[in-house]
Amino acid sequence: MKNYNDIATDGGSDVMGQVAEQHDRLGRRLKRIGSMIAVMSGKGGVGKSTVTASLADALTKMGIRTGVLDADLNGPCMARMMGVLDFKPSPKNGSMTAARNEFDVSVMSMGMFLPDEKTPLVWDANSQRGAYTWRSMVEMSALRELLSDTDWGDLDVLLIDLPPGAERLQNLVDLLPNLAGAIVVSTPSVVATTVVGRSISMATDIANIEVVGVVENMSVVVCPACGHQDKFFPGTSMVEDLAATHGVPYLGEIPFDPRLADCLDHGQSYLQTHQSQPAAAAILSIAEQVFSWTKTESL
Amino acid sequence: MSLHSTRGPFDGTMSIVYECSSCDVQMAMLTNKAETQMVRSLGVKIGGRTAPAEPMETLRSSLAVSHEEPTSESSSGGRCPFTGVISDAMAAAEPESALHWTQEALTRLEAIPPYIQPMVKRNIEDYARDQGLSEINEGVMDAVKGQLGM
Repeated sequence: MKNYNDIATDGGSDVMGQVAEQHDRLGRRLKRIGSMIAVMSGKGGVGKSTVTASLADALTKMGIRTGVLDADLNGPCMARMMGVLDFKPSPKNGSMTAARNEFDVSVMSMGMFLPDEKTPLVWDANSQRGAYTWRSMVEMSALRELLSDTDWGDLDVLLIDLPPGAERLQNLVDLLPNLAGAIVVSTPSVVATTVVGRSISMATDIANIEVVGVVENMSVVVCPACGHQDKFFPGTSMVEDLAATHGVPYLGEIPFDPRLADCLDHGQSYLQTHQSQPAAAAILSIAEQVFSWTKTESL
Repeated sequence: MSLHSTRGPFDGTMSIVYECSSCDVQMAMLTNKAETQMVRSLGVKIGGRTAPAEPMETLRSSLAVSHEEPTSESSSGGRCPFTGVISDAMAAAEPESALHWTQEALTRLEAIPPYIQPMVKRNIEDYARDQGLSEINEGVMDAVKGQLGM
């Protein structure tokens, strides 16, 4: 009688071979991408997606070929923010076409596979009871396919918008060992900086990912009428201190401008229509630092 | 031993029956619900692939509802991760008889959020077939309700 260790094969399924092929496929697809950068926080509501969309807008205007992957499978919003809400991917030559917005940013999002914005992501199963045992696994498979089966074309930078949660970066690194770095977003509040601090530690100490820098979002609010600036949060230099504590760069602050939120709600370029506003200058400055970092990183 | 018959999948499990051609002894492989779901979640095919994976195959086949029309199962196996002889046996099996839904049951089904209706409908029909029923009424729906966990 044989025991488990005597079994020479898995009966022809070659499950390990299939998993290896999945990773090979991912590697082949991503060869045409210069730098892959995660945009993360750990805390929800700090503006990760706003920063991602704004940086994609800015990098593209700087002549850098940019793509955006919406890795927030359960709360996808990138299709709306990037102006490709009605795009539905279709298979072509063994991959799925990415959406391209009017500025030629490649975009892929889980939302493109759902019928509309009201429909939540529900995975097919005989029962949703006990779904906690397999949901994260199918979500990782879906994220892998969004990366590997999208025809991104040739990109200089792929921004990956992560959902909240410090562990999300670790999951992504498992899929993408060659992830170049992470941009961390925080608001100037004790609650946000505490959680974001943990995420920075996770990135640098556990995932061994270089932090490109920390972005302070919603630092102040700008009056659209007179340009007067007021604090949104009580903290002063809180995010800058956070970056210094962890020894990572502080990339700058983006003031809250309701027109930025309005532009992204309608898939429009804020930089195109509000280039003279303080938030536009801040976004462009941060994008320049990110691009400079990618050039250094690729040396 | 050669493949004799298959039963299911019902409620996430299958029975695959093998028979000895010499003495008619039968033995069955029963698939566990959780294992079936796990294998499916990994995006691999038990029995090996007979065709390359379609782009975003796992994602597209695992959504309870998507913008795409359901596609016919390819030779690579479609939704069921247990392919090869199993899919051949399933294809060779007698077609399942159509189930009659009473108007009351249909009305109740339509009251469920649209994005989970196809999944709920399929589960109820699987249950009815498993029980040898030809009609789905509110009593059948009540019987299934607890099992769906929704």
